[in-house]
Amino acid sequence: MNTILSLLRPRILSAINGLRPNNGKSNWPRFFMYGSLGIIFWTGTFIIFYRVLFYFQSVQDFGDILAMKLISMLIITFFTLLLFSNIINCLSHLYLSQDLPLLHSLPVSSKKIFFSRWIISTFDSSWMIVAFSFPVFLSYGLIYKAGIIFYVIFLAAIIFMCLITSALSGILVLFGAKILPAGRIRTILIILGVAMTLFLILVLRFTRPEQLVNPDSFASVVLYLNSMQTPDSPLLPTTWITDTIKAALNGEIKSCLFNIALTGTCALMLIFISNIIAQFAYFNGFSKSQTTPKRLFAPVKYKGYNWESLLNFLPRESKAFAVKEIRTFFRDSAQWPQLFLMAALIAIYIYNFSVLPLDNFPIKAVYLQNLFSFLNIGLAAFVLTAIVARFVFPAVSMEGEAFWIVQAAPVSIKRFLWIKFFLYYIPLIILAEVLVVVSNLLLRVSPFMMFLSTITIFCLVPAIVGMAVGLGAVYADFKSENPAQTVTSFGGLLFMILCFCLIASVVILEAGPVYYIFMADIRAQSISLLQLIWSVISFGFASFLCLLAFFYPIYLGEKKLGIR
Amino acid sequence: MIKLHELTKDYGTTLAVNKLSLNVAAGEIYGFIGPNGAGKTTTIRLMGGILAPTSGNIIIGGLDMAQNPVEAKQMIGFVPDRPFLYEKLTGMEFLRFSADLYNVRHDTFPQKAQQLLQQFALADWADELIEAYSHGMKQRLIIASALLHDPRILIIDEPMVGLDPAAVRMVKDILKELAAHQTTIFISTHTLSIAEDLCHRIGLIHKGMLLAQGTLDELKHIANLGEARLEEVFLTIIKENTFI
Repeated sequence: MNTILSLLRPRILSAINGLRPNNGKSNWPRFFMYGSLGIIFWTGTFIIFYRVLFYFQSVQDFGDILAMKLISMLIITFFTLLLFSNIINCLSHLYLSQDLPLLHSLPVSSKKIFFSRWIISTFDSSWMIVAFSFPVFLSYGLIYKAGIIFYVIFLAAIIFMCLITSALSGILVLFGAKILPAGRIRTILIILGVAMTLFLILVLRFTRPEQLVNPDSFASVVLYLNSMQTPDSPLLPTTWITDTIKAALNGEIKSCLFNIALTGTCALMLIFISNIIAQFAYFNGFSKSQTTPKRLFAPVKYKGYNWESLLNFLPRESKAFAVKEIRTFFRDSAQWPQLFLMAALIAIYIYNFSVLPLDNFPIKAVYLQNLFSFLNIGLAAFVLTAIVARFVFPAVSMEGEAFWIVQAAPVSIKRFLWIKFFLYYIPLIILAEVLVVVSNLLLRVSPFMMFLSTITIFCLVPAIVGMAVGLGAVYADFKSENPAQTVTSFGGLLFMILCFCLIASVVILEAGPVYYIFMADIRAQSISLLQLIWSVISFGFASFLCLLAFFYPIYLGEKKLGIR
Repeated sequence: MIKLHELTKDYGTTLAVNKLSLNVAAGEIYGFIGPNGAGKTTTIRLMGGILAPTSGNIIIGGLDMAQNPVEAKQMIGFVPDRPFLYEKLTGMEFLRFSADLYNVRHDTFPQKAQQLLQQFALADWADELIEAYSHGMKQRLIIASALLHDPRILIIDEPMVGLDPAAVRMVKDILKELAAHQTTIFISTHTLSIAEDLCHRIGLIHKGMLLAQGTLDELKHIANLGEARLEEVFLTIIKENTFI
């Protein structure tokens, strides 16, 4: 046990040392920002669940069924999230971390290294789920007036769930590393990405939530109620966890103890099994993962054709950076699952518009379609922000320790940042415009709304990409093992918040003028002088905000990288 | 060719380089030695334009690095102490990338790249991803890419780390030949025998300050040592904190 503690100590000490002031700079702004965001999410989750459960309580009989079904759905969702999160963390902590060669050189058994790493992985994967399940179950406890025992049982059940998913993931990853050929460990990530994408699409296809607005689908409400009360399989840990929490809520002590005992023993047994497997399989798998990875796909070359020639219009240094960026991006298999997920996100986004039952709404369709279209500007910009946060914000950090090449090269930092900007801006503006135009076509909006949407997105995209490149440079982390995760850093969160503020400001500034112009168009009237002045000022200020977000962060990034 | 004037780098908590002044002439090989944490790598990074100085000037081929960084860097071939590269590019692709940045002529690039890859025993690995290279191969690739644009100044931090004896000999021969053709070479190293064999002049830095500089004989004189090896000279000067 002492060895395990010694192996965990570097991680604990690093976390403690991370609280120290960094180079004389206080960490308080960082803590304040993370703390505030955490409290906002926590409180928001609590309020939403409390209100929902309160509403359920007002519906006789059916309310209780719904509340219990919600627990079951939440546990399945948490379980799935934990499983995916644990697989990715286990892979990283057990096979990919840079300190592993050092650990394996120590006079410590591989089983102990596995166990210490597994503990870290479990913590990293689970703390957020545990923290954000509290407000959910606190609202249950308050609504159902549960005693302190409910909270104790709930905490134990959630911890056992984390241990079960983590042990299962450990076993899965151990087998994956054993079966897959040398150097292909990262391929698991790709398989996972594809599996998740398929899972999302299937869920979307089969649930068809748009039918909820179709009154014909409520014909068989009895069948629906019956299906809600159907118990889940008694062989699944999710069923035991759900039953534990339900029994604790209803004060059924026997059932509660039985189910928590089942869950706990299952967790302990899985941990034991994973350790036994690790004893025989971990080191071999680690050793295989250290061998040189072969290229997953052999380079394809067509005689007389070279894709690089498509970039010949660029100045030479810019082309060099563009080619380097494209190659490194597409050869990094860790990027692929993210691409699949983004593709799924966009597909779902467009699909949602295609199934909106516009003709079934009781409200006047033309008004609703154009309202959706206006809101769609903000939504599309948020989707874009998510993509930009994942791919563009870490772009400067992705240079990693090789950033010295850029610094030593006869290319200014300003130029380097602008090259990065245009590399991402061009595909993203195309993507964003396609997203908005396609969804507007599906909504059958007026020409004015189509014009407004495309112009607004045309202004927002450079602003969002500019902020990502600029703030990504200001908060660049060239020493990160996984630069893609910089988006969860202080800088990444700041970028997301600023983007949210920018998009919200632009949408709010445009809302008034758009309403006047739209209503005047419907009534075949012209807008008044005051409305015209207001419109000019609003659109002018929105444009100014976009320009500011476009240029200023890149200027800040240039300054920051220049004085390193 | 290289002129450092009152160069200072203060990291806030550490004064890494303290009013360092020195000159290196064209065709000279200047060795920069000192204990760990003396400020060698910081000086090299300042000269390569990777760090900005707190005060002082760096003049490269008559150009001030602060005023004309792009033009000054064009003259330099830079080799860092640790071979971090773009792991997802092949060796040849990385050379092409460097050639584009340093404006190597398109018509001469293929021949020059092949010649360097052959010279550094990397020709068979040219189309393999850099992530598959060993430490020594990456180091050789960086040196090859630094020579691709025929730099007038070569700045190298620990050139021999990770190289096998044959590669060490080859790099030494290349550096001597370059110096003979008027390339200025600034080397930082811990390996005193290399400084002894290779360098026309040696500078000794300690706690960010240049304690002594000169030919090996001049350093022996400063340290009041007769027929001594550089190692003894180094230890004596460091111990006594002898100033120039």
